[in-house]
Amino acid sequence: MSYVAIKGGTQAIHASKKLFRDLIHEAKGITDGELQQGLLFACDRIMSEGALYSEKLAAEALRRAGGDLLEAAFYLRAHRSTCKRIGVAELQNSNSMQVLRRISSAFKDVEGGQILGPSCDYVIRLFQTHVQDDEEFSPQENSLANSTPSAMESLRRNDQIFTLDNHEKKPYDVSRSFPLPPYPRSALMQVMSRGETGAMLAFAYTSMRGYGDVHPTIGDLRIGYLALEFTHPFTGKKVKIGEIRATACESIGSFNRDPRDGNLRLSTGFGFCFGFNETKAITMSILDMTMHHSGYSVGGVDIASNPEIVIHHIDGIESMGFANHFKLPHYVTFQADLQVLDTAVKEGRNE
Amino acid sequence: MNSSTFAFLDEDAKKEIRRSLLKAVAIPGYIVPFASREMPVARGWGTGGLQITLSIIVESDTLKVIDQGCDGSVNAVNIRDFITSVTGVESSNETSAATLIQTRHRIPEEKLKDNQILVYQVPYPEVLTTVEPDTAKQKQMHGDGDYSKLWVLLYEDTSQYGDSRISNRYPVLVNKHYVMDPSPIPKYDIPVMNNNSALQLFGAGREKRIYAIPPYTDVRPLKFDDREFKVENFSGIACERCGATDVFFDEVRRGNKSSFFCSDTAFCDAQLEKNNAA
Repeated sequence: MSYVAIKGGTQAIHASKKLFRDLIHEAKGITDGELQQGLLFACDRIMSEGALYSEKLAAEALRRAGGDLLEAAFYLRAHRSTCKRIGVAELQNSNSMQVLRRISSAFKDVEGGQILGPSCDYVIRLFQTHVQDDEEFSPQENSLANSTPSAMESLRRNDQIFTLDNHEKKPYDVSRSFPLPPYPRSALMQVMSRGETGAMLAFAYTSMRGYGDVHPTIGDLRIGYLALEFTHPFTGKKVKIGEIRATACESIGSFNRDPRDGNLRLSTGFGFCFGFNETKAITMSILDMTMHHSGYSVGGVDIASNPEIVIHHIDGIESMGFANHFKLPHYVTFQADLQVLDTAVKEGRNE
Repeated sequence: MNSSTFAFLDEDAKKEIRRSLLKAVAIPGYIVPFASREMPVARGWGTGGLQITLSIIVESDTLKVIDQGCDGSVNAVNIRDFITSVTGVESSNETSAATLIQTRHRIPEEKLKDNQILVYQVPYPEVLTTVEPDTAKQKQMHGDGDYSKLWVLLYEDTSQYGDSRISNRYPVLVNKHYVMDPSPIPKYDIPVMNNNSALQLFGAGREKRIYAIPPYTDVRPLKFDDREFKVENFSGIACERCGATDVFFDEVRRGNKSSFFCSDTAFCDAQLEKNNAA
């Protein structure tokens, strides 16, 4: 009877899963390597938002999700929950990155040079490509620059940068406990670094465009390789066990009076994520800046400078899951809704 | 299912969740933050309840999972299949046979016993969210026992609509101290929470919060002294399948005609069996 039909059940689920697999064919004809290279930025986004650096699993997730990046990142996050933490890698400074590309919009010439490197910034986005033109160029053999200091080094030397006080003895770990306000900066940084690129962009854009007041200059933007170092459990020595692709961005905002000594200094923000994703690193640096230098914000409605807004709404796995949960049955609550409506209507009639 | 640990989560995660649970039980109605691991089902689909269940489940448990009161609902089936596949525990639709019951939006009709644990899936753990969205201010208000904004909301609704417009997630006062969100159960289920024999645990995965009502705890809906707490009214209605009255009903509309069935399908099955035996 129809009663059974509306409850769905086991068979319906199995059939639905099967239909989904048939729909996307799980990209069976595409190898891991082809996905990792040809869809590099998709895989990088998956690792960054999935908060797990595994190129192999990123490719597999992309395949299983039929190219849905939120869904693919979700696969990695779920996998994380089954992995035991074996230790914490050595801290890396983004200045020690082997850069593939490093630019500064603040200075024409910087120590280490402007390295344009691989970028689609200047690609004319037309389907009628002019590949021929590019083919005539043979870029210099890509020698990775080691340990390029940040382009903002000179500003720091001249004491022109406002440095935030650090009250944290060690970084917060949002994957092991979730903070209550006031939120430590390290917790905000972690949540943002695994945040959703589109959400990051949208929140930062509110600040750039008018609901807030961050008009940054990119001090140093770099993509490249960071060493993954670990203390050897037996020898106790630092050993390099691999490397990861990463993007880092330092941006510069407006200046203000430093309350500690009354001098005028520039505000800055920092963004960092797994893989190559310049949009994410830039917009993260803007959010970092606007949250910790909210004094610069103007206008009544300012969303992006509020850590409460950012920390709870930037995660794609969470917002995507919750938006989709509305597909679940809500018979009971809606039944209750209708009864309340009924009561209110009757009350109105009595007046 | 390829899982190297019993019950999916790594042991450190389980330990952490159990600690949060202990704190929650020690302070009835108080909201305890926890890290909240990602589950292989999406946020908003029961990941908070699922993490609690997986942290406390043991081999000897008998599991029951319901959604809208129904064991056969798609999400309930999915969650039950997942839990049994990573633990190997037995499952049952029978309320009295279960030691661990995970639920979304309902409390079983059958009276629970003191050897049972009821785990609720929670979308909004913070009762104050509707009147104060800021986490820091919420914490302060709970600390001060300042629920004036909820009272004002209740007053405004009552004066304009004759009663509160809150149809589900009705605020409850736990152990005469903290006001708590009971999860989106209908008002019908609120009195059942009071002085219940079972341990009631609440998990909000996306919001990363855990809270609890220990057995035999005082749980009261927030209401004015001179106003009656009115639950959903199904007077004169009987289940078309088993004939039960005085239960929460699912309304099925076909054209202009409404049919009513027990929302708790296990209860309905048991009634039907009783009728057939008689």
